[in-house]
Amino acid sequence: MLIARLRVAALAALVAALTAACSGERAPTTGADGKPLKVYRHSEDGSPTTLDPVQAAITYSNLVVVNVYDTLYTYKYLKRPYELKPNLATSLPTVSDDGLTYTFKIKPGVEYTDDEAFPDGKGREVVAEDFVYSIKRHFDPANRSQGSWLWTNKIVGLDDWGKNGADYAKPVEGLKALDDYTIQITLNKPFPQLPYTFAMGFSAFVPKEAVDHYGREISVNPVGSGPFKLERFSTAKAVFVPNPKFRQEPVDLEYEGYDPAIHGEFGVAAIDGRSPPFVDRMEIDFFTETASRWASFTKGSEVQWTWAPVEQVDAVVKNKQPIVLKDEYAEKYHYTGDSEPAVVYAYFNMDGVLGDDGPPEQDAKNKALRCAMVKAFDWQERNDRFYNGIGAIYPGIIPPAVPEFDPNMDRWSVTHDLEEAKQILADAGWTPETLPKLTYGHSAGVTQRQIGELTRGFMTAMGWPIEKFELKSYATFGDFNRAIKNSQLDMGGLAWQLDYPDAENVLQLFYGPYETPGSNNANYKNPEYDALYEKTSVMQPSAERTKLYRKMNQMIVDDCVQIMGLSRTRAYMWHKDVIGYPDRHILGGQWIRYVDVKTPEAGSEG
Amino acid sequence: METLQYSLRKLITGIPLILGVTFISFVLMVYFGPDKTYELVGKNPTQEQIDQVREQLGYDKPFFVRYGDYLGELATLDFGYSDSTGERVSRILVRTIPISLALTLPGFIIGNVLGIVLALIAGFFRGGLIDKGIMAFAVIGMSISFLIIIIASQLFFSSSYGLNIFPVRGWEVYNFADYLYYVTVPTFAIVFVSLGYNTRFYRAVIVEEMNRDHVRTARAFGTPPGALLFKNILRNAAIPIVTRIMFSIPLVVISGSLLIESYFGIPGVGKVTFDAITTGDQPILKAVVGLTAALFVVTLIATDIMYKLIDPRVSLK
Repeated sequence: MLIARLRVAALAALVAALTAACSGERAPTTGADGKPLKVYRHSEDGSPTTLDPVQAAITYSNLVVVNVYDTLYTYKYLKRPYELKPNLATSLPTVSDDGLTYTFKIKPGVEYTDDEAFPDGKGREVVAEDFVYSIKRHFDPANRSQGSWLWTNKIVGLDDWGKNGADYAKPVEGLKALDDYTIQITLNKPFPQLPYTFAMGFSAFVPKEAVDHYGREISVNPVGSGPFKLERFSTAKAVFVPNPKFRQEPVDLEYEGYDPAIHGEFGVAAIDGRSPPFVDRMEIDFFTETASRWASFTKGSEVQWTWAPVEQVDAVVKNKQPIVLKDEYAEKYHYTGDSEPAVVYAYFNMDGVLGDDGPPEQDAKNKALRCAMVKAFDWQERNDRFYNGIGAIYPGIIPPAVPEFDPNMDRWSVTHDLEEAKQILADAGWTPETLPKLTYGHSAGVTQRQIGELTRGFMTAMGWPIEKFELKSYATFGDFNRAIKNSQLDMGGLAWQLDYPDAENVLQLFYGPYETPGSNNANYKNPEYDALYEKTSVMQPSAERTKLYRKMNQMIVDDCVQIMGLSRTRAYMWHKDVIGYPDRHILGGQWIRYVDVKTPEAGSEG
Repeated sequence: METLQYSLRKLITGIPLILGVTFISFVLMVYFGPDKTYELVGKNPTQEQIDQVREQLGYDKPFFVRYGDYLGELATLDFGYSDSTGERVSRILVRTIPISLALTLPGFIIGNVLGIVLALIAGFFRGGLIDKGIMAFAVIGMSISFLIIIIASQLFFSSSYGLNIFPVRGWEVYNFADYLYYVTVPTFAIVFVSLGYNTRFYRAVIVEEMNRDHVRTARAFGTPPGALLFKNILRNAAIPIVTRIMFSIPLVVISGSLLIESYFGIPGVGKVTFDAITTGDQPILKAVVGLTAALFVVTLIATDIMYKLIDPRVSLK
């Protein structure tokens, strides 16, 4: 009797759970014309946390945001170096002669997707006031913006508006909608990178109605005017359908930077003259386990795009520089080698025992110590062990992905020479007994620990007593970041991903007034450097500015401010039925709108 | 009436247990848990912005005020919003718990039923080749890491390197056929891992029961083996079996299976909990810990009531 009851209870629980666990209505696999729908399945190695543009700081969140929302600008799909192009804007901005007033025109007739947030559920037209509202949201403390730093102290009256209660009814002097289609921004001082910031997900147009309707849950209920509409979202998967209202803008491949020699083999020519998006459904699977991601990709019927996981690179690649896949993989998949616009480095905290604000003799001695550490660090070893030897190693902080990169820069700082390192130490009077005790911080994780151990290994090889080089692990990146921002560490491993293709984005990491808790984690304070930064920060791109950027780059190398740098390279791979040319970083997710999928019946034609 | 009184009495005595569990877990979450502030501030934060986020997260409140708030949330089942996704915690739980249940329940049931059957067989042939074979299998199941089982199952059943007949990932369940398609490999992994533990435990219980006088007497009276196993042995061994099963339920319901959901990309409460642990999402952690504790108390009461149903000699007083 009891067993029977238990059986019934178990069955009832299973049925109830199963009913509640159903995913809703099954997505169709064929269109109204009976042709199979084109589904693109993308994969990422992490999950978005929030889809609210004000908090879309991580790659995965931004990926979703820029596909659902619209930004004023984006980048030309295939053009390298990157070139900004209008997205919701009609053209590049008009800038006043003093560089302080920017005027943007937006396209008329663009509408938000239909959503219950709007009266009658019908999305209304996107207007300039939406942009004003969306940027204001960043300065409303209630929204915990992660993007406000882009415009802090830059737009007239905006910071004060936030500090004085963030009343949306009150105007901001420097941020105005002149009419439904015209935005005017007035700056405190010139900020040439301003248009770049309006290509980022942070600046997406958000309708006030949606924020009012969903409240904090706007973070999982995005309402935009971008190419896709989010149908379903969890931290395991996001499912999109095309936004039926998305404007018809045929692709002009020549304008987008198409080069048959580079892009021809990927079939991209097939999208010329057609309006994106081209797929009927787009799914993004968020994997945190590489084994699972790789199994899903190679399965054939699941995700269609990924990159070779570190543990698979040697099995998949036959040549690393440049990346060439082994024949059996090259037959099945398209691939590119993508050097990310990011720099991997180990920072020194100049406010600590390695610093330069003590007596001159000690500062000189500390500088020698830092330079010896730089020289003892073996970047090639780091590259081989952690990045399959396919990363790009270069001196300084400016990565190859930006036009200001100097390929001819002296490579002393990235050339490992243990004997020279020892000599620098000895010349400066450092001995194992006098070397300071250091704390190297890292977030928890096997790889981070191994990187810390490798760094310690380089230093002990130089003569640093192992007991004086402590590795400190933090449970999360947040905890590690807290230690950095509170200046509790002497050094640590970090990476910086560029927000826009301008070296200013990395050079600001050493600007004195941005010391911790700001972005200058090294707490580097050099008046000459600061003066140059202030000078270049208001300059439009020019040969003169590039020259000064490079000078600043050389200054931080000469001062041995940190051990730098490397850009990771990934072997992107995608199934041959997918037409596209991926760019996961500066373009963010904006390249996905151009993805097409060949179907057996329909070929690549839309 | 007796059962109702007993349940209410137990419920009241369960309150200190809930307070104890929530207090300990809250201490761990607050003092040793990750600080979310520095993940939520931007790349170039000012001290003012950092202070604002700390205030919004409630980090600036005294410990006991925060604990009091937590108890209030537990009492009202309103845990606010996730610090990471911004979604209401109750909505997340309502969406994800059924998925975890649907995912883990088959493995839970099969693992226990099969464990009991194998234990009965092993016990019946105690000391023989069959017993040794089953126990060897159980030890193998217990010895291999769950992670290895998951990866090996995926490779064997789901990948192009193996049979390639089940999905590596996903949860697109619209009917029972879909359900079987997505749940089979996870269920296999769950059963493989739990079977060893279950079989060994149940065998020990059954062997102990087999040595009792009433079993020897029944055997002497010529009771057939089937009746002996199911009527005389299994029924009398039901109390430890029910105890084990019942106390596994809260973990199945609330915690789901962290690894399974993570590797198979299934959006259940296990994955949500895992994400919350790694990111320090306190509202979700508080909800999961608090609800698990409350469910344990309810399970405790239900188990005691079931004892009485199994064995009328048991008194609820």
